[in-house]
Amino acid sequence: MKQRGAIGWLKHDVTHRGVTAWALALAIFAFYVVLYWGDDARGVNPFDRLAWLLHLGTRGQAGAKWTFYGALYTLAVTLGGVAFLRKYGHNRYQVIRTIVVIVVQATLAFSVPLIMKMAGHPEHYFSYLWPLKMYYFEPGFIRHNPAPLVLWSFIGSLVLAPLLALRYGKRWYCSWVCGCGGLANTAGDSFRHLSDKSEKAWRFEKVAIYSTLVICVVTTSVVLASAFVQGSHPQLDLWSEKLRTNYGLIVSSLLSGIIGVAAYPIGGTRVWCRYFCPMAAVLGIFQRAGRFRIRVKEDQCISCGMCSEHCEMGIDVRAYAQANESFTRASCVGCGMCAEVCPRGVLKLENTHTKDPQEKLVQLRLRK
Amino acid sequence: MAARRVVIIGNGVAGITAALDIRARDDRAEITVVSDESDYFIARTALMYALMDKLPRKGLEPYERHVYDRQRITRVRGRCVDLSAKSRTVTLADGAKLPWDALVIATGARARALDVPGISEVKSGVVNFVSLSDLDACEALIPSTRRAVVVGGGLIGVELVESLVHHRLPTTFVAREKWYWPAGLCREEGELVAAHIRKRGADLRIEETISSVSVDGSGRVSGVTLGSGDSVPCELFGVAIGVEPDVEWLARCESAPVIDRGVVVDEHLRTSVDGVWAIGDCAVVRSANRSVYEPIWYTAKRHGAFVARQLTGSKERYVPPVFVNSAKFFELEYTTVGDAGELGARSLYLSLPNKEVTVRLIERDGALSAFNAIGSRWDTTVIARWIDEQRSIDWVRSHLREAQFDVEFGRARIERMVERELEVRQ
Repeated sequence: MKQRGAIGWLKHDVTHRGVTAWALALAIFAFYVVLYWGDDARGVNPFDRLAWLLHLGTRGQAGAKWTFYGALYTLAVTLGGVAFLRKYGHNRYQVIRTIVVIVVQATLAFSVPLIMKMAGHPEHYFSYLWPLKMYYFEPGFIRHNPAPLVLWSFIGSLVLAPLLALRYGKRWYCSWVCGCGGLANTAGDSFRHLSDKSEKAWRFEKVAIYSTLVICVVTTSVVLASAFVQGSHPQLDLWSEKLRTNYGLIVSSLLSGIIGVAAYPIGGTRVWCRYFCPMAAVLGIFQRAGRFRIRVKEDQCISCGMCSEHCEMGIDVRAYAQANESFTRASCVGCGMCAEVCPRGVLKLENTHTKDPQEKLVQLRLRK
Repeated sequence: MAARRVVIIGNGVAGITAALDIRARDDRAEITVVSDESDYFIARTALMYALMDKLPRKGLEPYERHVYDRQRITRVRGRCVDLSAKSRTVTLADGAKLPWDALVIATGARARALDVPGISEVKSGVVNFVSLSDLDACEALIPSTRRAVVVGGGLIGVELVESLVHHRLPTTFVAREKWYWPAGLCREEGELVAAHIRKRGADLRIEETISSVSVDGSGRVSGVTLGSGDSVPCELFGVAIGVEPDVEWLARCESAPVIDRGVVVDEHLRTSVDGVWAIGDCAVVRSANRSVYEPIWYTAKRHGAFVARQLTGSKERYVPPVFVNSAKFFELEYTTVGDAGELGARSLYLSLPNKEVTVRLIERDGALSAFNAIGSRWDTTVIARWIDEQRSIDWVRSHLREAQFDVEFGRARIERMVERELEVRQ
């Protein structure tokens, strides 16, 4: 039941798909449309002008809108993070995680690339890896960047990310480092409960996210192949260019930016992360094979459903908890909120899971 | 052979656990669940979260609705009014008769009524907090309420108080005991919890009672008078002084089972009527030396699973494991393991300075008999094992860390705890 008064109404309405929620979603959608496609005939965006006004770029400098966007995003993560810390300050996992997310956003995802750009280098986002950044394996990128950056992209994407996911689960990235997760868990926190918990949504999730991953791998392969054969197959170059452009438009701009953020008040904070993000798909596969799990304390669940309600990935945590099943789901980003809101302290995130050989045997027998 | 017809009266956690577990073990049984309260099983443990807008109504349902069809569990909405062992039927209020080969009574408990002068005049404004209709009543009354009073210093009372405080209602919380909830807390912990409840905005009155209730012209509650003589105006009066088995209807039945407070059952949870079992908050389990009535979630769920095994061939006896319960007082989580009801026992009381974190180890015959903790999380399975193994409290003290269940980075610092040896006072 909502609280009384206008504030009570607004708090409920905006977080329960009311009129204000739809208005907010539309406003965010419009913001992104203007940001991406609102350049006038001279190639100047209204947000370029705003950026100049705010001294976020020299007057007349093209692309200043991205500096403005980065600053706005960082501000949202910081302010949302402070509000989140005030609410969950008693939980040290949440405190440390949130501080890390804010710091990563403010440095690796914002000020570091900005400083690089100001110093005349091409900007580089250390906190993003393949498959989120498609072009890290392309010869163009490799040729034009200093060796340490190239090395970081390769080692980070192919070695570090999978290893850390095996050891700690995908959370090390999805809810400690990534900017998408960062915004979701800070400014977006009051919308986390809107994720769809039904089995139907889970089935769609599996189809959608692995399809994006396949598309992502195909696009990367075609672009790489085209670069290696160096113009001897013009048809391949054409495909490569087409795939690259479409992937950029549909996956990077439309799904991760526009749909991802504008859907907060309607579908919850992790629409992009749950259904589409190829990085989450890769990390999820390693998570399933690794040591991370959510442990369920035996016979202590009271089925209240607070865990499921607060799961931004739409995992029906209660279904596992009331059945006394510790579990690892590929989609779990390890935000730790199920454990935080559980009124009986039944859930615990842990990295120590090793499959008991006995347990494996029993499973094998059951399968027969 | 025809499939066995199992009728379960009550769709609470005991009844639904029984239904699902019977299905898991018997593919052919015809399972019918009768409920007067709701179409689908709801977790009454979450009523407070619905009242505070932290859960939608549908979020109260622990299973997706299609589960009942998939598991071929027939749901019937209605109230049972008669039970016949001769014809093996139950009769619903609308006259319909349900035949059974096995009958499970899982009607649960209802709120105990408060008997004070003036309460019979009340037409509206008095609420309990154990059923879906209580939630409806609270939601209907809160908008027209300026002040609230809740009586009953137990676990349901504090949930209702937290919900009312959430709705910014000045709330007086009346508990008659010497300190807050002596049924589960020793004095030191009781005082700590009381201070926490007050800090969170409720006006907690200890060693206080309700002496009368007054109503306005329309019959709505307008205030209460306390035992100390204070009168507190209020438009909502919550009564949470415990629950009692909901079995009145059974006594009037053609084949009434033996009732003593609740439906009396033996160590197989069988009632005195052949083919009829009783489980959960309506059942009193009687064994050779004692009678146990434990109206808590965990017990009801365990009964449900047990009766499912009984109905599908098991001959085991019901042996309750080490008692475990948990609760939350506003922000303070509480865990208890074992039997703490011992007066004058030696106990070790550990607390973190300036924090609302305590652990108490209670000893009986040189071994740990009970463990109570506030403000931190513990693996109850490990502690129950220690009690079973009769570990000494000094051994437990030095192994405490193995049972911690706090969030990562958030482990309660046992090594910084201040230790005192205390007698358990009551």
